[in-house]
Order: sequence, then C-alpha cells, then structure tokens
Amino acid sequence: MQRRQIRELLQEDACSHNAGRVSACNRPKPGATSGGCAFEGAQISLFPLADAAHLVHGPITCLGASWETRLTLTSHPGTDFTQMGFTTDIRTSDVVFGGETRLRAAIDQIVEQYQPAALFVYATCVTALIGDDIAAVCRQASADHDRPVVAVEVPGFAGGKNLGSRMAGEAVLQQLIGTAEPCRTTPFDINLIGDYNVTGDLWQYRPLLEEVGIRVLASLSGDGRVADLRCAHRARLNVLVCAKSLVSLTRKMEQRYGIPWISASFYGLRDTSNSLNAIAAALGDADLIARTRAVTAREEARLTQRLQPYRQCFEGKKAVINTGGNKAWSIASALQDLGIEVVATSVRKSTEDDKARARACLGEKALLMTQPASQQLQAIEDFGADLLLAGGRSLYTAVKKRIAFIDVNQEKKKSYGGYNGLLNLAEDIKNALQNPVFRLAGTEAPWLR
Amino acid sequence: MAALTPAPTRALQINPFKLSQPMGAALAFFGIEGCLPLMHGAQGCASFTKVFFTRHFCEPIAIQTTAVSDICAILDGGDAGIAEALRTIGEKSRPALIGLHSTGLTETKGDDLQRAARQLDQGENGLPLVWVATPDYEGGFESGWALATRALIEQLVEPQRHCTPRQLVLLPHVSLQPLEVERIKELIAAFGFRVLALPDLSSALDGHLGQGQSVLSDGGLPLAELRTLARCSHVLAIGHSMRPCAEALQRKNPAMQLWSCDHLQGLLATDALIGRLLAASGRKRPPVAVARWRSRLQDALLDCHFALGQTRFALSGEPDQLVGLAAALGEAGGQVVLAVASTATPQLANVAADRVQVGDLADIAAAAADFDVLIGNFHAERLSHQLGKGLLLRGYPNWEELGSQLKSDLLYEGSCHFLFEAANTAERWRNQRHCPPHA
Repeated sequence: MQRRQIRELLQEDACSHNAGRVSACNRPKPGATSGGCAFEGAQISLFPLADAAHLVHGPITCLGASWETRLTLTSHPGTDFTQMGFTTDIRTSDVVFGGETRLRAAIDQIVEQYQPAALFVYATCVTALIGDDIAAVCRQASADHDRPVVAVEVPGFAGGKNLGSRMAGEAVLQQLIGTAEPCRTTPFDINLIGDYNVTGDLWQYRPLLEEVGIRVLASLSGDGRVADLRCAHRARLNVLVCAKSLVSLTRKMEQRYGIPWISASFYGLRDTSNSLNAIAAALGDADLIARTRAVTAREEARLTQRLQPYRQCFEGKKAVINTGGNKAWSIASALQDLGIEVVATSVRKSTEDDKARARACLGEKALLMTQPASQQLQAIEDFGADLLLAGGRSLYTAVKKRIAFIDVNQEKKKSYGGYNGLLNLAEDIKNALQNPVFRLAGTEAPWLR
Repeated sequence: MAALTPAPTRALQINPFKLSQPMGAALAFFGIEGCLPLMHGAQGCASFTKVFFTRHFCEPIAIQTTAVSDICAILDGGDAGIAEALRTIGEKSRPALIGLHSTGLTETKGDDLQRAARQLDQGENGLPLVWVATPDYEGGFESGWALATRALIEQLVEPQRHCTPRQLVLLPHVSLQPLEVERIKELIAAFGFRVLALPDLSSALDGHLGQGQSVLSDGGLPLAELRTLARCSHVLAIGHSMRPCAEALQRKNPAMQLWSCDHLQGLLATDALIGRLLAASGRKRPPVAVARWRSRLQDALLDCHFALGQTRFALSGEPDQLVGLAAALGEAGGQVVLAVASTATPQLANVAADRVQVGDLADIAAAAADFDVLIGNFHAERLSHQLGKGLLLRGYPNWEELGSQLKSDLLYEGSCHFLFEAANTAERWRNQRHCPPHA
C-alpha cells in the first residue's frame, strides 16, 4: 500500500476529531505502546469470514499467537476457516532469497486441499520489508484458481489495529466489492459493517431485522460470506456497528455507490431499540418504520419484565468503568438500562465522539477519568461504588476496596449484545455482586492480624 | 526408539502450535525479578505476546515494545528507537533490568543490538540491559527461552574461581510450569542444597495475589543473585535446549560441576536425579517423603498399566517437553505412536515414539486412525472433538483450563498424578465410545 493511501486512511474526514484541524502524527511511542498492530486489526476485521481461507505470509509470531483467539461464530456449513490458522512460517532462506515462491506454493496447497470460496493473503512486517510482491502473486493465483485471492498488505510497522482495520476495508473495497451482482435485491437491503459476531453478538439482533423485513445483504464480517461481500455495492444502507475503524469504507462506498451510512450500537436496551428504529428510518419506508417500532416496543416490554428481578438486586448500586474506546459509553448505557448508576468511566483511549457520548450518557455529576489507573481507587471511595468493570490489572483495586469486579477485557464466552445479551450481562453482574470472593480474597492472614 | 521422519520442505503450516523465539525470550525475562522485556519490533509482536500470556496465566503481564514504525523500519538502525523506549520506560517505572530482544522485522533490517546495547547500557536513566537476538524466522519458543537465558548468563553473571559448596543453579526448559520448577527446587533443597532457578517462574507467574498493584513482575530470580550465580558448586540443566546455558555458566567458573538431564518425568529419570543427589550430598537415603512418593509411583505404574497399555497416544509440543511426556507414558506401557514437534532439535532423537516429526496439527489430524488420546496445547481441544479423541491439555498456551501454572507432571509425585490423569482420560474416552450414539 502506498504511503499516500496510508496517510489518507489515517486522516479520516468522517471522524469528528479531524474536523477543523490537521490530524496529529500518530506514530506509536517506543516504550509506551500497548495496542496491537495493523496486521492484528486486519485479522480482526477479516478472519470472521468463514468461507475464505486466511493465509498469513510471515514468520510464526504473527499467526502462531493469534489464531483461534476470538469466538467469532458462523453459520457457514462447510469448513469453518475462522478457527483455522494458515501461515507460510517463513525461514531465514526466504528472508535472503524472497518468499514469493513459498507463498505461491502455500496458496496452491490451500486451494487444492480445502477449496475455499476465496483467499485472503496478509503481508506482514518481514515479507513487506524484503519486498515480496504479494499483490502480483495474488493476482496470478486468482486468475489460475478462478476465485478471489485478496492481497491485504498490513505490515505491523504501518501502524495500529485501527489503521489495519481500515486497510482491510480498503482491500475489500478495491478487490471484492462490486465484482459480482446479487441474484435479487430488495428495497430494504443493508450491509452490516464492523460487527464480527464475537460470541454471537450479531445473531442477537439480526433475526429482529429480518422479522421486520430488512435483509442483510452482506456482513463485514461477522457470519459473512465472500459471495455476499462482492455484491455489497447494491445495498440501500450501510450500518456501521460500534466501530470507528471502518468509517473510511462506508464513506467511500457512499461516494462510489451512493450508499448512505449510519452508526449503530446494539449494547443495552435503549441503544438496541434506537439502532433498529434508526435503520428503519434511514430506509425511509413508513410501514417499515411502524413495523420496527412495534417490534422494538414488544422486545423492550419483554426484556423489561425479564429484568425485573435484577432491578431489585441492582437498586442503588453504583459502578466505575475503566475500559477503552466506545465501551466507555456503550457499557455505561447498558448498565443504566439495568438500573445501575455509572459514577465514573475512563475516556483515556476514547475519541472525541466517544467522550461527548460518555458525558451525555453519564450526566454532569459523573467523573470522566483521563488517568484511570491512578483515579479509579479514589473514584470508588468518593462515590461509594459497589462494582468495578475493568481489565485484569485493576483486579487488585477491587479486592483492596472489597467490591465486586468484572473483567471486561477478558475474552468473552457469551454475548452481551442486543436485548437478550443484556440478560446475560445482568446475570453476570448479579453473580459478581453476590460472590463472596471479593471480600474473602483480600482477607489478611492470621499471622498478620 | 524413534524413527525420526526427516522434516519435509513445506510451504505451509496448517493449524500450527509452534510459537516464536521472541515469545520464548519474553517468558524467560519474566523469571527475573523486576525485569521488563522490551521487544524490538513492531508493536503487534509485544501486543500478541502480552495477550497470549495474560490469558494463559490469568495475570497482568508487563512487556514493552520499541514500536518500530514504517519510517524507523527504513531509516533507524535501531539505536534511536531503543534509546527512546528506554527513556520513556525510565520516566514511568524503574525496572531492575531491561530484557531487550529482537524480532524478525528488526533482524531483517539488520539492527545491531549489541552495539545499541553497549551504547545504552547504564546510559539512558541507568537502566541495566541485557540483549539477545531472537528472529522469529529461526528456531521457536524453546530456543528463544534458552537464548535469553544464555544471554543473561553471558552478559550479567560475574566470573568466579571458587565455589560455595552445596549450591545449585537449576536451568529449566521453557515448557516446565511454575509449580514444576518449585517442586524440583524443593527436592534438591531436601538434600541440603541451596537452589536458585534461572529463569524462575515459580515465584513470578505462579498465580499469587501480590501485596499491591505492581507494574512489573513481582517475583523471579533477583538480579543480585543472578550476578553471583557462578559461585554455585553445581549447575543442572533440564532439557537439551538448556545445555548450552549450563556450559556458558560453567565458563564463568570452570570449577562448577555440570549436570544435565533430558527430562524429569517418570520413575527412571527421577531415580537418576536422586542417585546424583545422594552421591553429591553424601547421604545414604533420601528424605522419608521422597521414598514414600517413589513407592506410590511404583503402585501408580501398576494401577495405570492396564488402561495405558491399551492406549495409543499422539503428542504435540516442544522437543524437550515431548521427550518427558513420551518417557512417562512409555513406562506404563502407553504407546506413543506419533510425536509432532514444533521445531527440529537433536532432542527429537530421544523421544520414545514410533514416529517423530516436525509439523503442525494437520499432521496429527492426518494420523487420526492411529491414535486414541491426543496431548497438546489448547488448539488440540477443537481437533480432539472433531476427531472424537481423548484429550490431555499440556503446553503453552492453555486457554481452555485454569490452573496450568500449579500442575506438576514430574518427579515421583507429579508422575503419579500425570499417569492417573492420562489413564482416566483414556478410560473416559473408551467409555464414551461404548455408549450408543445419542444415548
């Protein structure tokens, strides 16, 4: 990928923090960087496509530690490539003589053995640096094997996860979207962009869309199919789910194909209803809007009833949230739906948009923490919080304050998305609040008392 | 013994369990008190490593990166990025040691870590530094751990000419879990030795609730002890990968006595170690508890032989790990039909299996008709379900089960538990097969 393209992807006009000022140089800071790289971002965005094989052209670190790490579910009946790992595992000789021959042989072997609908080939740091012409190898392999072989050039040194997601979106836009036509279209065809169906999040709301007559034409990429993505240019609306990173893709699809886009979140009761109604409104059909209103009202009533026992348990409970990005407000909003007061949330890694939403969601009295590591202990004391939702590093803070703790960064095994997901979240919070470990674990040893 | 199938030249790894050298090096650095691994590469390598170990140990993991960007990848010889990282780290925390190690990216662009380290050691904020080249297109997890350990010895241990008697340096290979290291230390200490492990995960990543919110590892071998290791009278290397480390330590003090063994699983391997300890300590008998556990292991062998004697195993793992697993199963008549290793080392010649090869989980799947129970890391879980096989989870990472760090498969006691677990797994698998489908 050209440097000009990378710069363009980094300076996304549709991001609010870029309004009216030049984007800051976002070079990662040596010695103070914890996020993933561009390759990881692309992997997160594309690996959920279960009918395509994902081949990582690089040494073993890139794939060896990262495959089968995310529970991205699929209904694909064939081989589930989301939970498989393919890598060229390049060696010293490839670094010296080039890795193109190995790459081509690997592609041929995958096609022969597994017959995937398509292949995604990821260039990583070493193979980019030694100058393997991955785009050319992919073009040739695509012609020879008569199926898409998409080159995704995402060396980790190009930038962070977010950039990698954008580069993945760019590869899909340039190499897949618009390369086929759908058998049929409906006036209510949408694309879901940015929901990876982790633990089945997407399945929590997709049936409701279908119930009101909205068809998901393509998904990038949760439970998605390559054949659908190729037709994605025929959708009437792009729905960007909880993800800033693919906003470049939706903006470019608007320019190129005239497809409007909206942002949506399916965490919590209000956000789920709002998002479903917003999708209907954007599609602009009066009947559809009325149908969707009815369905969201029905689901809200059903959920409210099922949440009733939890609301008693959560009465007067206060929570502090220390997590990143859009979770700062999306989890807060979900907690509020359960009747829990969110007294503080972290905005250290949030965008300007996220900060504004967090403030709007939490109100003026709440604390937006910019230094959560040092602030959260004080916040728990000041507000008398009962619950801390944070990453594992904060566990000791909860144990010290003897309050319940939920690890929000741990790889989830069940969905918190949509209406039903809120029940899962409620159950987990109830269990945490009732669990004695947070009082017990910090108990002083008898010989220290 | 093993018919070592020569490694075919392959273009593709399918469902690999192989892990990289820089990750092995990072794990070794966690075994030094207050040491912060600094991975010299793009930010993703350190990020993957951090998430990987966090999930395995259920503990926060401290690791940093020089976060090589596209511009640095072309223009910087490494010095500037490393210097900036050290400055930044020094402003926030005071690690006792920085474990600087490279990746494929920085080795490909040809950064000279040695030169950078020489310029920077004690220079930037006075942070002591150890460096090691660990490209991920060479070797693997086991060699990365060994290379880092050797670098710690060569660069930090002070040369000595005299030994303090009855002090032993234990050099465990990468696949030994924290509790296993502790058990070996305890056994040797029971013969009157003071034992220091390098690296020592038994006090660092054993999963203990610390007394505070530490940014850095709050256990492991203290740096001061590391510097004076060559005073010890003995060094014991466990695993073929650690022999060069023991030799490097002996070069620091030729008077040191060097012991090495391939593994410590099962009756014979433990007997051999006890024999050495008896001779070196001048004792006639081991402590009562050790003798008791030996007799329990003898009984366990007899109890398990029926189940294990009719069970065929396929193993996947690191070379030094495979040799121990195969030996322990073989002592009770378990048939190891296939052992697939992550990387090729001379140790593979010692693996007691019908077939030994370097490969991936696709090789295990291809041999599905030949085995009953599979032993491997968490990736083996899905495969065992698909193939309808029994499963024993061993090795890094284990994201399916809790408590790997507090499991011991070695010496008399651990071998008992291992045999029982293997035999029970095999029996449960056989029982399930005898159930009518969907009953």
